[in-house]
Amino acid sequence: MGLTGQTGFMFSRRTRILLGVLVVASLTFVILDLRGGEGPFASVRTVGSNILGGLERAAATVFSPITGAGSWWSSMRDQANQIDTLTAENQALRSELQILTNDRSRAAALDGLLRVAGVGQYRFVPAEVIAIGPAQDFSWTLTIDAGRNDGIEQDMSVINGSGLVGRVLKTTADTSTIVLIVDQGSSVGGRIAGTGEIGIVSGTGAQDELEFELLDPLADVRVGDALVTFGSKGGRPYAPGLPIGEVIEVSGTGGQLTRVAKVRPYADMSRLSIVGIVTKPPRVDPRDSVLPVSGDADVLPTPAPLGGSSTDEEGGKSDGAQPAPASEEESPATPASSDAPEGETAAVPVEEAVP
Amino acid sequence: MIWRQALIIGTFILGAVLIEVTLLSRLGIPGATPDLVVVTVVAIALAMGPVQGAVAGFAGGVLLDLAPPGDTLIGVNALVYVAIGFITGLAVDPRDRTIWILMGMVGLSTGAAVLLVAGLDTLLGSDRVDWEQVPMLALTSVLYGLILAPVVLLSVGWVVRKATPEVLVA
Repeated sequence: MGLTGQTGFMFSRRTRILLGVLVVASLTFVILDLRGGEGPFASVRTVGSNILGGLERAAATVFSPITGAGSWWSSMRDQANQIDTLTAENQALRSELQILTNDRSRAAALDGLLRVAGVGQYRFVPAEVIAIGPAQDFSWTLTIDAGRNDGIEQDMSVINGSGLVGRVLKTTADTSTIVLIVDQGSSVGGRIAGTGEIGIVSGTGAQDELEFELLDPLADVRVGDALVTFGSKGGRPYAPGLPIGEVIEVSGTGGQLTRVAKVRPYADMSRLSIVGIVTKPPRVDPRDSVLPVSGDADVLPTPAPLGGSSTDEEGGKSDGAQPAPASEEESPATPASSDAPEGETAAVPVEEAVP
Repeated sequence: MIWRQALIIGTFILGAVLIEVTLLSRLGIPGATPDLVVVTVVAIALAMGPVQGAVAGFAGGVLLDLAPPGDTLIGVNALVYVAIGFITGLAVDPRDRTIWILMGMVGLSTGAAVLLVAGLDTLLGSDRVDWEQVPMLALTSVLYGLILAPVVLLSVGWVVRKATPEVLVA
């Protein structure tokens, strides 16, 4: 097909027909998809997603040495410092190291997940992130390698070792799509740990920022306050008591009927590798017991502010707010501090509900 | 021969989609996700012509929307990529192809893809698009596109020259 015959606006008949078919097909897809709902088109889409999901699983396995050990970008910068030591090592040692660090970061992620699940009595299915939607789509979604065959259903909560990550948007046989809480369309019912003030936590589209809109305009919110999920009926889409994030900025009322605070999510959305899908929420709301413990464990057990902060406003609150900023630097779920919350659950009614 | 062309287009596009969603988007690099699919569509359009470019664009757009984490409207990407594939194949005269013109075409296409998809989504009533981020995403997308371009253009050109020399535009 020579180009000379097609320059200008005189295309051959075949070209015109083909171009027309492609454009009409695209527009038809858009219209059918906008209409939404169930139907032949939805099942065609499901079949397509199923096939591509399988291919993605295979591709993710191939690429796992590159993507597995956390973020490539940051590990590149770290490695620049160690370049002398690395060059001394031979190829075999290097690949072995790669596998080891990969395993270790996976083990750490699973440890954190087990802590959250253990303290809060959640039952979860672990899964690995295999694909992420392009940033230019403006939707914070990702694919995991567990689906209907693993017991995943729509609207289940997704957590990692630090806290709430998102919820299951749709499932195929072996993969599921998760929409993160930072997605613009996401909103979660949240409760301030301690005071129990409730509100709506919505995504802003930025990966490290959420917006918390309090239902009570006179509610007392401070920087450093921790948020947990309020819980929905039957634990769908969000199970109760899951840590969401920490208040980092409280904005003035500005004549609005509600108060708004900025919240940084506990889970680092840019470094998700292993996540857990909560298949069964606890029988009793774990209240605030799942929240990450701050650096020094002897300060006080987390649920204590329940009574403390509501009675003596100034003293109790500033105590509670103090250790929190420290925890954003260190990883919130260190194995050393995990003894404290486990010991304390025994005192909380959750233990009675177990048998 | 048409089947051989379809096979080449299909393989390149499917590979590009899989690499983009499972590898490139997970590298955690700042800004946009490197748009390997658009670069591949441009490469096919340059090597084979506008019609093949449009077909490649359609396939790439639909697959990208169908691939699991995608939660956007099916067809938006396809429409934009069809236009990019066709116009690229048409606009670049095979007689004066310098490296700068080819790279310029890749840059224009990757930038235009971000802007057009964001614009179409907004027109169709999606409130996801954050226009404050769009310029940065478009710029980074162009940058990553230019980085990917030499490898993709050369490998697509090489395969087309070997497998289907009858459609090679050179």
